[in-house]
Amino acid sequence: MPFRVLVANRGEIALRIIRACHEEGLEAIAVYSDADRLSPQVRAADHAVPIGPSPPSESYLRIDRLLEAARRTGASAVHPGYGFLAERAAFAQAVEDAGLVFVGPPARAIRAMGDKTEARRRMQAAGVPIVPGLTVPVTDPDAARRAAAELGFPVLVKAAAGGGGRGMRVVQAPEELAGALETAASEAGKAFGDPAVYLEKYIERPRHVEIQILADRERTVHLGERECSIQRRHQKLVEEAPSVALTPELRQRMGQAAVAAARAVDYRSAGTCEFLLAPDGSFYFLEMNTRIQVEHPVTELVYGVDLVREQLRIAQGLPMRVPATPLAPRGWALECRITSEDPAHGFLPSTGRIEYLRVPAGPGVRWDGGFEVGDEVGLHYDSLLGKVVVWGATREEAVRRMRRALEELVISGVATNQAFHLRLLADDAFLRGEFASQFLDRRPDLLAAQLSDDQMTALAVAAALAEDEARAIRKPVVGDEIAATRWRLAGLWDGLRG
Amino acid sequence: MKYFVTIGGREIPVEVKGDRVTVAGREYQAHLAPVPGTPLRQLLLGDRSLTVAMQSGGRGAWRLESRGLRLDLEVVDERTRHIRDLAGPGAGRTGGGQVRSPMPGLVVRLLVEPGETVEAGAGLVVLEAMKMENELRAHGPGRVTAVLVAPGQAVEKGQPLVELAPLST
Repeated sequence: MPFRVLVANRGEIALRIIRACHEEGLEAIAVYSDADRLSPQVRAADHAVPIGPSPPSESYLRIDRLLEAARRTGASAVHPGYGFLAERAAFAQAVEDAGLVFVGPPARAIRAMGDKTEARRRMQAAGVPIVPGLTVPVTDPDAARRAAAELGFPVLVKAAAGGGGRGMRVVQAPEELAGALETAASEAGKAFGDPAVYLEKYIERPRHVEIQILADRERTVHLGERECSIQRRHQKLVEEAPSVALTPELRQRMGQAAVAAARAVDYRSAGTCEFLLAPDGSFYFLEMNTRIQVEHPVTELVYGVDLVREQLRIAQGLPMRVPATPLAPRGWALECRITSEDPAHGFLPSTGRIEYLRVPAGPGVRWDGGFEVGDEVGLHYDSLLGKVVVWGATREEAVRRMRRALEELVISGVATNQAFHLRLLADDAFLRGEFASQFLDRRPDLLAAQLSDDQMTALAVAAALAEDEARAIRKPVVGDEIAATRWRLAGLWDGLRG
Repeated sequence: MKYFVTIGGREIPVEVKGDRVTVAGREYQAHLAPVPGTPLRQLLLGDRSLTVAMQSGGRGAWRLESRGLRLDLEVVDERTRHIRDLAGPGAGRTGGGQVRSPMPGLVVRLLVEPGETVEAGAGLVVLEAMKMENELRAHGPGRVTAVLVAPGQAVEKGQPLVELAPLST
């Protein structure tokens, strides 16, 4: 019986996992909703099973349908990707109970880390530094106000079951608290099926640095950090590895804290410990993401490790292929997330059909995408279209390469945030590496769409020429046009005779 | 032929004579060639090279996409522009005080009621799309004259959501 992996996801991560399966010599099973019948994951996989209507709640979030698909196709394992059910302990448990391998940590590790308040208690016990805050979820606005006053404003309202910025609100003053609790709970309920939120002290001007963990039955190792400070509304937009803020000594200390955190919950497979790194070099454990992450490729490029393939090996009970001696990052990697969000309209989601796609290529460039020409970008799913990832010997080289790659990328049919990335990569503060997690909040100029006079002139000329040409075609005048008209008239007469 | 191109709130006159264009006081050799099998067109303006995705909306409306920016342009000739000027400013515009949905989505919450006075930037409606909640805000101060949608309602792009009247001074 071949080892078959059911990929319980869609978009770029589904394709990424299918590619890893094929490189490991494993068969891949795709699942798809009605909207995804022709999606790249279906086209790339060896088997494909429909799992229901387009809304995720009726397809990608349906544990029963996923397990039925696994049973029907004789799957040996289930890879959850990220998002959807990836961090739902009940899903990992159901997969384990069905006698299949969950490509990720054991259900009990997800449970321990997924409940952020429980995780904080455990981390405290394991000696991992944490941000001051409540250890129990809060619903009552009065209780929240008292707790917030004790922590001192600003405070952060955060989904207990969350991740990825959903169900998160920064609250500057007591009167904003009740509204923030309501919005965060509503978003959390919708995104994670659990409206519980808790409060913590909001650390100002921190960097968002995360440590990659990989664990098999024998060993738990860290693969250095990723810098994820460039965020908009807590959604990461640009990630890099390594971070300009870390020395080898600090990397070692943060790495050891992450390994301790993983060991405290008996972790397996790939995972990420998120830390806030304050300007004074102190760091605080935020949470552990018990899944493969969107930004995993930057670690792969500087450490020479294929994290998804290692996940597949670990799932088969094989030892990971990472040397026992501590690894050091080589060169610099950057990732830009390309989303269907329109910077000219306040980053609102843009929808449409992909009319044309040219992906960047050439030395040191990797494109992890999840759509092809003809695909509809709708409102049912995440706005992430793909990721441009580059490697360079130095940060400066990586930035220049990224600029080149982004200039090659052409996506026609939906508006994307590509222009924002190009502006960011030309910004002095970004080039110097001087930024913290709220960088974009203080730099609205980078978010606003801008056209240089030169660009505006060129685009105006293009439109004028196109309009001029369209009008010329509409009124036939000489030569070929007259001949063509005669042919059409002849055809018309034929039609009348017939 | 002289055209007036409106782009990002600015009007740029472009004179086209065969393969020569005059724009911003300079004359260039210009050529626009379609890239077969794609919505792309390749522009050579002088020796400058630029690839743009272009889509015609008819009646001089063009949607251009360049480096991820999506721009809606309007191209009119001199005669059309003249007629429009005679018709007066604002002619043909509808519902100047209407706040419209910038995208298809779901109304999550209403933040205002009819009769309420709002400041510029005040939240009006929370709309959900792509699993994110987006707050639509007032562009300027005004009084809410009508709320045209209800929570739970699905709305189309361009659908009017709220009507605002300017504050009488």
